[in-house]
Amino acid sequence: MDRPWNNKAWFLVLPVLALVAISAVIPLMTVVNYAFNDTFGNNQFFWAGLEWFDEMIHSSRLHGALGRQILFSAIILAIEVPLGIFIALNMPKNKGFWSSLCLVLMALPLLIPFNVVGTIWQIFGRVDIGLLGRTLSALGVDYNYVSDPIDAWITVIVMDVWHWTSLVALLCFAGLQSIPQAYYQAAKIDQASRWAVFRHIELPKMKGVLLIAVLLRFMDSFMIYTEPFVVTGGGPGNATTFLSIDLAKMATGQFDLGPAAAFSLMYFLVILLISWVFYTVMTNLDRDETSGEAK
Amino acid sequence: MTQTRWLALYAVTTLIMLAILGALWIEVPLKDGARNITGQMFPGGWMAWTFPVALFFWIIASLLIVMTLLAIRFPETPRIGILGIETTRGDRLFISLLGSAFIALIWLFFAGPPVWGALVLCLLWAAAVFALV
Repeated sequence: MDRPWNNKAWFLVLPVLALVAISAVIPLMTVVNYAFNDTFGNNQFFWAGLEWFDEMIHSSRLHGALGRQILFSAIILAIEVPLGIFIALNMPKNKGFWSSLCLVLMALPLLIPFNVVGTIWQIFGRVDIGLLGRTLSALGVDYNYVSDPIDAWITVIVMDVWHWTSLVALLCFAGLQSIPQAYYQAAKIDQASRWAVFRHIELPKMKGVLLIAVLLRFMDSFMIYTEPFVVTGGGPGNATTFLSIDLAKMATGQFDLGPAAAFSLMYFLVILLISWVFYTVMTNLDRDETSGEAK
Repeated sequence: MTQTRWLALYAVTTLIMLAILGALWIEVPLKDGARNITGQMFPGGWMAWTFPVALFFWIIASLLIVMTLLAIRFPETPRIGILGIETTRGDRLFISLLGSAFIALIWLFFAGPPVWGALVLCLLWAAAVFALV
């Protein structure tokens, strides 16, 4: 094919390239360098080789944080995805006052900055002045997120569900809105049950947005920092010390630059792998759908 | 482009990359008359460059340049391999590199340093990815 190529267009990418270099590539290179060096301050570095990687990969501290992180992300997904779908299915479908009201109410938690969400829940859950904490203790429930690990976990999870379920619900709602009425009419003619409509019409049509929702929620919960940091500070003990909280403690609290750099590179690799898997699944789904429609 | 022009482009690119490698090598500090490969290349600099890390990034950059030239000279259509996903050369390079990182980490976990054995495994993995995926 003799299509003329205009490679001058590549120059238009240069500003983005420069920005990405400054904001991502150069810092990443610095982290890689730090991961192979040891420093005692004064900007003097000494070669450490693979020592930090070896230390970190066998560190029970990192294993613990990784375990808690995976458990947290799994719980978050297991609650938020079904709940989001359920809410989306029950939202008013026609474009009217109630539909708009629902959308605005749902969007509210998404607009609140992370640290404000943390502060809200930190105060909300306090046993001495918080509405939730006081009510629960008045009802005789022994609830204290400062001292009890289980309570701390419940608080952090409920906070995340409150903050982010709307995102899943709104994405699913958008997916549902794009289903033509003809599908529902056909299902009605076939006397399909509510479950069959969901299983064979709504769920397949929501597949694309649902994958994006799962990806977004997974990545976000896997990198969660601000909210648990504000509410529990990683405590009690290490109960809610997730990966990024542990990493920040190591890097900026203890100034262990080498181990923290090795830690963050491994963290980065895990996230890169998961993002790639999701991306591949999504693009392949798109391809299957377009080739399916072409048949 | 003509054959000679391509050859000229290859030659110029290779020269530039070799010049960069040479410049990096010159920066490697001397210790007792020999090059201290793991010494600091820019003492007092905030990025703490050492030759092994610089070489790693040099290899990545070279790979990217080779892939770019290949993509311009021999455009390809994606293929579906044993993973059942559509991949181009670039995708296969990405899978090779990402997989290699994990192979090295797994080696480090079970066998500890040094990781030369892992390097051999990584090369085998990359060859397998380019042939099969």
